[in-house]
Amino acid sequence: MVAFQIIAAVGTARSKYIEAIDLAGEGKFEEARGMINEGVEAFNGGHAAHGELLTKFANGELPPMDILMTHAEDQLMSAEAFGILAEKFITLYEKIYK
Amino acid sequence: MKNIVLFCAAGMSTSLLVSKMRAAAQAKGFECEINAHGLSEARQYGPDADIILLGPQVSYKLKETQALFPDKIVETIDMMDYGMMNGEKVMTHVIEVLGK
Repeated sequence: MVAFQIIAAVGTARSKYIEAIDLAGEGKFEEARGMINEGVEAFNGGHAAHGELLTKFANGELPPMDILMTHAEDQLMSAEAFGILAEKFITLYEKIYK
Repeated sequence: MKNIVLFCAAGMSTSLLVSKMRAAAQAKGFECEINAHGLSEARQYGPDADIILLGPQVSYKLKETQALFPDKIVETIDMMDYGMMNGEKVMTHVIEVLGK
């Protein structure tokens, strides 16, 4: 079930991004960046699965749109936003620590 | 009877894993209660749990949840098992952990 795979992947990514911010808050910047990388790796898996659906759509194959797929897309966009902000939070904490 | 509680962001996707886990538990003849709730209801449903499992979306709350329930087993669900909705694998792991 593609939706579940996306949810698991991007959900993991989102969690990693949040953990990264917490690590930066503790001044552990190298660990924080490492956690971001872990998040990106997880996110890419979900993003790739979603990309396949978009390709199929472009070829006229309609994807299964139900509440679960909507939830997956919602989680994906949320994870992406957290990823962008997590990076900025780390930069901010670095400034605070200096 | 063991009480297995899963926490997720809102409890939606995890509920489907719960159905699969219930089927696996039945097939294994393992008597238990398995339910999913939103993490916001942790204080309400956590205390009666024998094991607490967190979905990937809320895995960042692991330490906090462990601190909330220091005498309980609190773990995150494996990302692959969750994504594949592998109730069988999760149930096998839970039985093993509870058996210790």
